[in-house]
Amino acid sequence: MTTQQLRPIVSVFPIKGKVKTIKQVPLPSVFSAPIRPDVVRFVHTNMAKNNRQAHAVSTTAGEQTSATSWGTGRAVARIPRVKGSGTGRSGQAAFGNMCRGGRMYAPKKVWRKWHRKINTNQKRYAVCSAIAATAVTPLVMSRGHRVNKLPELPLVVSDQLQSLTKTRQAVKFLKFIGAYRDVEKVIRTKKTRVGQGKYRNRRHVLRKGPMVVYARNLGIKKAFRNIPGVETASVYTLNLLKLAPGSQMGRFIIWTESAFKLLEDIYGSWEKPSKFKSGFYLPRPVMVNTDVERIIKSDQVQTVLRNRRPRSRKYGKKIQRADPYEDMSVMLKLNPYYKTKLQKQKELEEKNKEERKEIVDKSRKEYEDWLYFSEEEEEEEEEGSDEDREIEVLSDEN
Amino acid sequence: MSKQVPETIKKQKKRSFNSKEVKQEKNEKRTKLLKEIQEKAYKRAEKYEKEYLEQDQKLKELKQKALKEGSFYREPEPKLAFIIRIRGIVGVPPKPRKILQLLRLRRIYSGVFIRLNKSSLRMLHFIDPYVTWGYPDVETVRALIYKRGHARVNHQRKIIDSNEMIYDKLQKYDIVCMEDLVHEIFTVGKNFKHANSFLWAFKLKPPVGGFSTVKKSFVNKGEHGNREQYINTLVKKMI
Repeated sequence: MTTQQLRPIVSVFPIKGKVKTIKQVPLPSVFSAPIRPDVVRFVHTNMAKNNRQAHAVSTTAGEQTSATSWGTGRAVARIPRVKGSGTGRSGQAAFGNMCRGGRMYAPKKVWRKWHRKINTNQKRYAVCSAIAATAVTPLVMSRGHRVNKLPELPLVVSDQLQSLTKTRQAVKFLKFIGAYRDVEKVIRTKKTRVGQGKYRNRRHVLRKGPMVVYARNLGIKKAFRNIPGVETASVYTLNLLKLAPGSQMGRFIIWTESAFKLLEDIYGSWEKPSKFKSGFYLPRPVMVNTDVERIIKSDQVQTVLRNRRPRSRKYGKKIQRADPYEDMSVMLKLNPYYKTKLQKQKELEEKNKEERKEIVDKSRKEYEDWLYFSEEEEEEEEEGSDEDREIEVLSDEN
Repeated sequence: MSKQVPETIKKQKKRSFNSKEVKQEKNEKRTKLLKEIQEKAYKRAEKYEKEYLEQDQKLKELKQKALKEGSFYREPEPKLAFIIRIRGIVGVPPKPRKILQLLRLRRIYSGVFIRLNKSSLRMLHFIDPYVTWGYPDVETVRALIYKRGHARVNHQRKIIDSNEMIYDKLQKYDIVCMEDLVHEIFTVGKNFKHANSFLWAFKLKPPVGGFSTVKKSFVNKGEHGNREQYINTLVKKMI
């Protein structure tokens, strides 16, 4: 944790005069404790149960009858019914949680476990987280405190504050330092409680205002007591329920200088244990450097990484492709010789055609020749027969 | 005020695998490679055309010669078969089922090339009732690979879009382009196994004009079993 030893400086302000730095003190190590809302929530929910008072329902409630079931065969439900007659109550259902005037389901008992044990270290962890959160302005603002006009957060003020005795002085101080806006908010938003608490001596509801933490009470407690919303606390006994009301971290705290310095002793650091809590060291964060993006992009990491795999856009998406026998461009991409092949085929066909034409012509000519020659022969034969006829005609005439 | 560039972005730009120059270099290499592949493809296609023609002519000559001498020319037994599964998945007994799986014929009308040897012929014997097969000619092989050829890339079925795809996978077997692939398959070369496994099983369409009856064998006017050269006409109907 030596990297955390760069501790920033916090200004100490006076309680009157001018809002100006009169002194500077280093920030105690508690404010660098890990801020763990999950731990705070757990501890808070359990701690809040510890101020409960036992309550229960009367043990005899709903049982003060001698009701018996009528059994079957009477056209009524089998629930126990009040005995006797002469009154409206007779024959009415009794005892069941569903019955009017019956005992409730699982009547509450006083021996319910009202309080919760929490591990000491967890409690201390939560308090450290909550204190650290009080220095984080966004958290304090998101809790709802009006801290715009403050000179600084965490707000540390001179020890003279501890000697104030009059409420008037306290209010004057708050106005001087810029914290009175938070008090005004409290006054403005005081309301009657919603619900039945209002007639159970919990009539009004107030917001939480600033909390003043002191080291020695020299009148400060009484001075701030009557200011609505403002709470005081000794630095030795900081209460999580006050530091993170409703398990919401980021209470607006006004520290006195000595209280602020005492934090280093009370909560210790990662090297030195606490002086007041035996064996307690500040909780360590799981990650020292939480800027993950920065870590990943740092030289130390990037030089060791392998090269990024190329996004195979080649075969990435489902490739649609036309039928190569229908689309010549697709065919040529796959087989650049195809066009030449077709050409050659065409040439070959044509050559064959010519050759065949030659052959066909030749054979046709031969046939015609043969035909012609045979015609000539026939003609010659016909002439011969004519002569024979003439001779026969002469003979007849004789 | 000049625009401030965050330090991390500055550093990122410096790193080599992201820089413009490296990308440019890669691109140049790639285009050069593509050009080489296409040139090779042209030359090899030319070579193979001649080869196929010569083969045909040789066969004719030998046959004619044999006729003249009054004898027969016994053609070499076919080395390549194309199998199409013509029966569905329901009710297939375990042995034929397993064999069909081994041959990648997992669905109806799927087709694969297979090298014919004693062992594969035995396998075909068992699955005869579920498939029809025969000896494809060059044009059938071409049509199948060009039109319905899908590659097995990264355990995925991708249509063969360019010769680059073939080059990436089969370069070490000296198969660089489509015609190389066709040649390897048709002539059942040394690297037939790799060429064939590069191809996903062909998914064909049901035949135009239908089947007569798949229950009978081809020899008995049905459809299943060996149909030798008539596989070519069937593939034309199914492609």
